[in-house]
Amino acid sequence: MAEEKKGRAVATQTAARIPKFVRGNLSATLKAKEEEKKVAKAFIADGQDEIMRAMDIVPAWGESFSGVCAAKRDAEKYLQKAESDNFSRSLCTYATCHIGFEMIREEQGGAMPEGAPWGGMGRPDMILGNGQLLCDPRFKWPQALQHYLKDVPVFITNMYYPPWDPNTDHHEQEKFYVKYCTEELRETVKFCEKVTGKKMDWDRLAAVVELSDKTWDLFVDTYDLRKAIPTPMDTGDAMNTMVPLTFNLGTQEAYDFYVELNSELKQKIAGGIGVADPEKYRLIWAAGLPSWFALNDFQYFNSKGAVFPVEVTYRGCEKIERLDLPKTNDPLEHIAWRWVRYWTHWYDAARKRHGSTPKVERIIEYIEDYKCDGAVFHSAFSCRSWHAGIINQADVLRKVYKDIPILIMEGDIVDISSYNEADTHNRIDAFIETLEAYKGKQKK
Amino acid sequence: MTGLANSKGLETAEKYYAQYGARAIELKKEGRKVIGYMSALAPVEILTAAGVVPVRLKGFVDEAITKGDAYMESIICPFVRNAFDAAIKGRFSFMDGMVLPHQCDSIDRTNDVWSSYLNLPYWHFLNVPHVTDDPSIEFMKEILRVFIGTLEKFLGTKITDAAIAQAIKAHNENRRLMRGLYDLRKSNPPLISGVEMMKVLVAAMSIPVDESSALIRGITEDVKKRTAPADGNRKRIMIIGDQIDHTAIPESIENTGAWLVADDLSIGGKIYWPEVDETADPLQGIAERYLRKLKIPTTFVGDGNTYEENLEARFGHLKQRIAEFKVDGAILFIYKYCDPYGFEVPAMKSYIESGGTPVLYLEDEYSTSTLARVKTRIEAFLEMIA
Repeated sequence: MAEEKKGRAVATQTAARIPKFVRGNLSATLKAKEEEKKVAKAFIADGQDEIMRAMDIVPAWGESFSGVCAAKRDAEKYLQKAESDNFSRSLCTYATCHIGFEMIREEQGGAMPEGAPWGGMGRPDMILGNGQLLCDPRFKWPQALQHYLKDVPVFITNMYYPPWDPNTDHHEQEKFYVKYCTEELRETVKFCEKVTGKKMDWDRLAAVVELSDKTWDLFVDTYDLRKAIPTPMDTGDAMNTMVPLTFNLGTQEAYDFYVELNSELKQKIAGGIGVADPEKYRLIWAAGLPSWFALNDFQYFNSKGAVFPVEVTYRGCEKIERLDLPKTNDPLEHIAWRWVRYWTHWYDAARKRHGSTPKVERIIEYIEDYKCDGAVFHSAFSCRSWHAGIINQADVLRKVYKDIPILIMEGDIVDISSYNEADTHNRIDAFIETLEAYKGKQKK
Repeated sequence: MTGLANSKGLETAEKYYAQYGARAIELKKEGRKVIGYMSALAPVEILTAAGVVPVRLKGFVDEAITKGDAYMESIICPFVRNAFDAAIKGRFSFMDGMVLPHQCDSIDRTNDVWSSYLNLPYWHFLNVPHVTDDPSIEFMKEILRVFIGTLEKFLGTKITDAAIAQAIKAHNENRRLMRGLYDLRKSNPPLISGVEMMKVLVAAMSIPVDESSALIRGITEDVKKRTAPADGNRKRIMIIGDQIDHTAIPESIENTGAWLVADDLSIGGKIYWPEVDETADPLQGIAERYLRKLKIPTTFVGDGNTYEENLEARFGHLKQRIAEFKVDGAILFIYKYCDPYGFEVPAMKSYIESGGTPVLYLEDEYSTSTLARVKTRIEAFLEMIA
């Protein structure tokens, strides 16, 4: 029986529109058949969004589906189903939750599992993955899923960027990385053309890419408004407002959403309205996906006067101008340059600070820009891609920057079995005390 | 193995197994550089051509992680954590540098951890792709060139194509010799036990290829002289997994009354079957072997027209080995927190079972602290297939 919690309050009215967005994405996968569109089981932050949008392929976001199940505290039945066929509970729970759902649907001859959140998600016509640098499930989840959806073709793109090495100038390697990414994207287009039976409209792709660039710029401009003191929006909302950028990139709806958010934040700033009143501590959510079943923890922070004006998580974009992208008429090459430069544009700063790393350099930049007093990390046990190396980031941050208060929370993204609200709140309380002592010392 | 003759080669293997890195330490004293590496994806041909001593890092299964946890999360592959713990405690202090190939998240996402805390004079992360199409082969050649460039800079010497071609021949010969030793496990009973074989495989990871070939040649000659008495109706087991580099599991199998006759491990069957083609550009052959011939779950294989074709491409070699070595049962031993292997389990298990071979799937730690439960599961499995 699902233990559905009451909806979490959000600080901005615009963020309150997000559930509609998520429902819309799920229902689009269900309506696709009637509209004669193909559905692709796809991954966020995989560089394939614009190709799908330009070809009218409807993305079925597995992470979103599993996140919704987690938020509704209704993932357990799917996790158990996957476990029944020997998928370990230590594997990515985004993946095992979704695979469990698909297993049940296949066993039911294609009928939607009863109680699937928000009507469930459509059966894919294809599965797109990306063997990129940051996440093994992005190519293993598609392969594992095909074990149950045997007729559904899988295509794995591979988009890399130069790895961080303080002794190597990554700029010297950029060109062959971009060439490789571009070729891989071209292979992706060929696959999509084969499955959809339609040719890519390259002018349309170019327009979609241009819209994505505009959305990236607007997103950063909008989030920069959170530098205001008190901050008008914190990470609790950002875990919602990331949806259009992350799941709807390349659509007008996503762009328009940030126009609205931008306007609301400006109004709040003009009125001096902050997330916490009074705002006592400003924190950075420095790494880690949230526990989707425990987003209320952000409000617990807020209740103590602590706000998160900035987060690394789901801020998957940068001002295009800052990336200094070489000009090209090939939209795929543009996506490739944007990809490579996005992942590497903190390298030069890291190279200048002995002992630093790009991830830490990014955190330092945000701490300075958003005037943060401390950092919070979340380590999810089932996800190595975003959560391995967090101890190191915290350690390097202290060594190369300063000894600011740091909290590393532990939990999971989907699996609620590891979560204890009382323990979590106790840890937050202790961290708040540390912050208070730190701020006291800073004033002296 | 009762009734079987002893071997000087096996004594040497036993020494290198028990004193891991002992030969590298000797060679370092003679002025050779030692480069450590992780995983089956490190192109050892290039290290050999560079004239360094390549040593594959291993864990120490009977040692608790006492220092590594301060730097590396417990959600990371227990083997990687154990090997890192050993490194941070100085077990590989003879290394002048390391190459860390991009195999999986547990390696990729801890690159900063390894490099910053070991602080070795040479460090290289080799960005091996996960897919195998033509652009990936070209990309692999590019990253191999970058790797060669950094090694040349560190060593102050040129690594020529001729040297790489020679190293390819040496490693191919080494692989043929090792497969020749594996062949001696095909008889019933096998002429060399799974425990002995494990020691040979581990020893071979820590010495230069020519010495490894000489060692294997010697052992093979000695083992061939053995007379294997008939030994009842012991079941013949194959083990599948990544880096199992200790005798605890083979002992658990063989002390329970079975023979470990074959493996598909990343220090064994996975690396000794595929060879490097001797191509005009030696990097072409190396790129093709590491991307297209090595059967490891971090390389995506899925270009078939049907799912069944994909399964054959991914696991067909397992069925061949099961047939060649007359395997009665397979043990799939996967480390906890391992996404690449973990997501393979249902497909691999059902594929092997579809050929009539029973499979025991074990997910466990890299530690002898959990060995009792592993033994119990193995005993139950052997009883079931008896």
